[in-house]
Amino acid sequence: MLRELRLSLRQADRTAFVIFIALMGFFAVFLFIPILYIFIGAFFVEGSFTTYYFTLMFTDPVLFESLRNSLMIGVYSTILTSAIAVPLAFLMVRFEFPGKRFFQGFLLIPLVMPPFVGAIGMKQLFARYGSINLFLMKVGLMNEPFDWLGQGIPAIVILEALHLYPYLYLNIAAALANIDPTLEEQAQSMGATGFRLFRTVTFPLMLPGFLAGSIVTFVWAFTDLGTPLIFDYLPVLSRRIFSNVNNININPIGYAMTVLSLIVVVVAVTVARRYGSMRSYEMLGRGHITPRIRRIEKSDGGRSWWVVPVYVGLLLVVFLALVPQISVIITSVAKTWFFSILPQEYTLNYYYQAVTHPLTVSSVANSFIYSIGSTAFDLALGIVIAWLLARKTFPGKDILDSTVMLPLALPGIIIAFGYISVFSGTILNPLNNPIPLLILSYAVRRLPYTVRAAYAGFQQTSASLEEASQSVGASAFQTMIYITAPLIMANVLAGGIISFSSNMMEVSDSMVLAMTQPYYPITKAIYNLDLRLGDGPFIASALGILAMILTASCLLLANKLLGRSMGELFRA
Amino acid sequence: MVSVEVRGASKSFGTVKAVNKVSFKVEDGELFFLLGPSGCGKTTLLRLIAGFYKPDEGEVYLGDRLVNDVPPNKRNVGMVFQNYALWPHMTVYDNIVYGLRIKGVPVSQRIERAREILKVVKMEEYASRYPNQLSGGQQQRIALARALVVEPDVLLLDEPLSNLDAKLRLETRDEIKRIQRETKVTSIYVTHDQEEALSMADEVAIMNAGRIEQIGTPQEVHGHPASAFVASFLGNPNIFKGVVQDEEAEGVIALEWEYGGRVYANKGSSSVTKGQSVVCAIRPENITIYDSDPSLKGIYNHLEAKIQNLVYYGVMEQYSLQCAGGAVVKATIFNPSWHQRKVGDMVFLVFKPEDVLIYPA
Repeated sequence: MLRELRLSLRQADRTAFVIFIALMGFFAVFLFIPILYIFIGAFFVEGSFTTYYFTLMFTDPVLFESLRNSLMIGVYSTILTSAIAVPLAFLMVRFEFPGKRFFQGFLLIPLVMPPFVGAIGMKQLFARYGSINLFLMKVGLMNEPFDWLGQGIPAIVILEALHLYPYLYLNIAAALANIDPTLEEQAQSMGATGFRLFRTVTFPLMLPGFLAGSIVTFVWAFTDLGTPLIFDYLPVLSRRIFSNVNNININPIGYAMTVLSLIVVVVAVTVARRYGSMRSYEMLGRGHITPRIRRIEKSDGGRSWWVVPVYVGLLLVVFLALVPQISVIITSVAKTWFFSILPQEYTLNYYYQAVTHPLTVSSVANSFIYSIGSTAFDLALGIVIAWLLARKTFPGKDILDSTVMLPLALPGIIIAFGYISVFSGTILNPLNNPIPLLILSYAVRRLPYTVRAAYAGFQQTSASLEEASQSVGASAFQTMIYITAPLIMANVLAGGIISFSSNMMEVSDSMVLAMTQPYYPITKAIYNLDLRLGDGPFIASALGILAMILTASCLLLANKLLGRSMGELFRA
Repeated sequence: MVSVEVRGASKSFGTVKAVNKVSFKVEDGELFFLLGPSGCGKTTLLRLIAGFYKPDEGEVYLGDRLVNDVPPNKRNVGMVFQNYALWPHMTVYDNIVYGLRIKGVPVSQRIERAREILKVVKMEEYASRYPNQLSGGQQQRIALARALVVEPDVLLLDEPLSNLDAKLRLETRDEIKRIQRETKVTSIYVTHDQEEALSMADEVAIMNAGRIEQIGTPQEVHGHPASAFVASFLGNPNIFKGVVQDEEAEGVIALEWEYGGRVYANKGSSSVTKGQSVVCAIRPENITIYDSDPSLKGIYNHLEAKIQNLVYYGVMEQYSLQCAGGAVVKATIFNPSWHQRKVGDMVFLVFKPEDVLIYPA
């Protein structure tokens, strides 16, 4: 018995185990304990257990309405996003047509801008006296201005879908590209064609990819804070939580709402994963898979009639996806734009202000500091964790894997809320100086990206390449520097760039944790500028465009480094 | 150059004992083979010697040096990997001089030694290529050159030919043998291919389920397999059950075999007693086929049989024969005459008692 124990300990890599314990310590403090605090805050008031605040969520009409609205936003956004992404992915993966490469690029544009920035431009277009109403009234289609944005949920859902469909599209496209074409050919040879083939073979095989992407969509829309803020739509959970941050010590309802969001997210993710993994089939390895690609042409070489709806559909999606971006661009160069269809005068002055205004300058500097700090942190941690997962055996490996991936399903606002409740009154109190907590919260949330990217690098690099180096005399460190590092560099860099760019546009943590103006990052500065009357929205738009250009360059670079596998990074 | 000795080494993964109390010694300059089916623990044993695994118990010696706690890079052991493991981001030259660079060998010497070793593996003109621009056989040579250029005390080869096609495998086999003779480096070579092992080895260890079943020269292990496993792994013998009867003549025992009748076997070194159940192995190539009863003198095994199936291979002919009692016997005839026998013909099978290998059941 004792001897067996000694043997099993000897089998495990002791260095790996020690690092694992240290990592779990880190996650305990910055992931598990904050979540635990939220639960304690929700159920223990003044030292005694109560479900009063939790049941209040369902009995209080105002709170219940928020829950219902958030759920509706989550579900409707997922449905609308799927309706866009599924046909899109099918079309882009399975068909060859002129202009495909052009669309491939343009379809991903929404990735570069968080929806709440787009919302600023959308307000210009859809406000009561915005461009759309003015245009419709001018051409005589409308007498009274219609309150588009006052509709709340539909406006938010449309904006979320237009922002989120690329994530789902990338996931489905990756899943579709992985389906062994012989499986579909077999079904065809047995007589299944068209929609029947899709329903009985193709869709079930791509389902895991679809679920992985759609759960990201749901969680994002369900917990998004930025868009309801800009649209000034109050009755959603995320906004109620946000407005309760400052009095969590007086009113535990903030905790109860956070717990409820967490439960909804956990249930949704668990169900999707269970269902997805139950239906995830190992594709028979045939080495290289040549996807089935058809041309949109008739057999005699002429164009088929349905090339028309394909182009109309694609152009419509691209156009709609670009509306928020375009509207922000116009806003950013408009001198003034009130009560007119298009701005009366144009100027680049707001760009000048965006790079000189004290609030924006400090926010850009802050965002860089936070993002670079947390990205560096993620790279260091990500490489170590990926190395442990890919190369080492030790007890608890599965636990480490699921812990690292947990933040993918954990909304920022929940982590931020947890941090406030744990670290208020400690040396890390965000009221005094939120920098350490901002960096850490960014880092914990983006860690899955760098871990996945580095892990993919390790997996592509056979361990025997490292062993060969050791066998000719190189130490473990020399091997890391000369062999492993150059071989996984592209992956690690890509993961880092994606972490960095998403940190630059991070919303929830920033809104909650950066409480005073000197610490505002770009996103919170944009929000605050937008609230300001007069030139605020214009400067905010200019700043948003600059940030968008930065994000776009980052993603292009990452895509170049990673090749086709980028879609896999955004899975839950 | 040094000898290699493994004493009572074990290595487990979870509950699986990959290597189980293995001991053997490889003399200085010897080409030693670890031969066994996949999963028998031969690669694990090789990696214990290379230092990529630490034994759970037992010792590994390189020369007089106990190396259990010495990391791979301090053992001066060269290794050739099954997938060659050439670094894809370096040219052939950079791959080869990497070890020299690590050891701090000056540039002029590096160039000299790289040129020498490339000459040995006949790849001089490929120095500036990248690995993905080489064929499988060429990559194999570079992997060998890279392992040899650092002048290792011991060279380990892990199934180095398994990714090559049949013809290239034969050529490279001779090439490795030649290089090993020229460099006189103590080498341990892992393979599951018995032909490779028998044709190249100075000594072979045959492994099964984490243990070494037999160590000996190719002639010894093939001619006198120490166990039923070795006998059946080397060649594809007929395996039958039998019960020992009495001693027929000096050193020859009679067996009651499972299909009825008697089979004679040389007792040899086996210590079987009357009434004991045994397994006997008869190699197909040791069975002679006659069209009529040859009525030979002395003690021979005779069986009448009907040809069930036969396959012509050019240099040989493989028979599947049905005997009385339902036994099916495989036989191989070399240089088959062009007077072909047909399926359904009746023939006589003859094999000597010394070709019947017996092992306790």
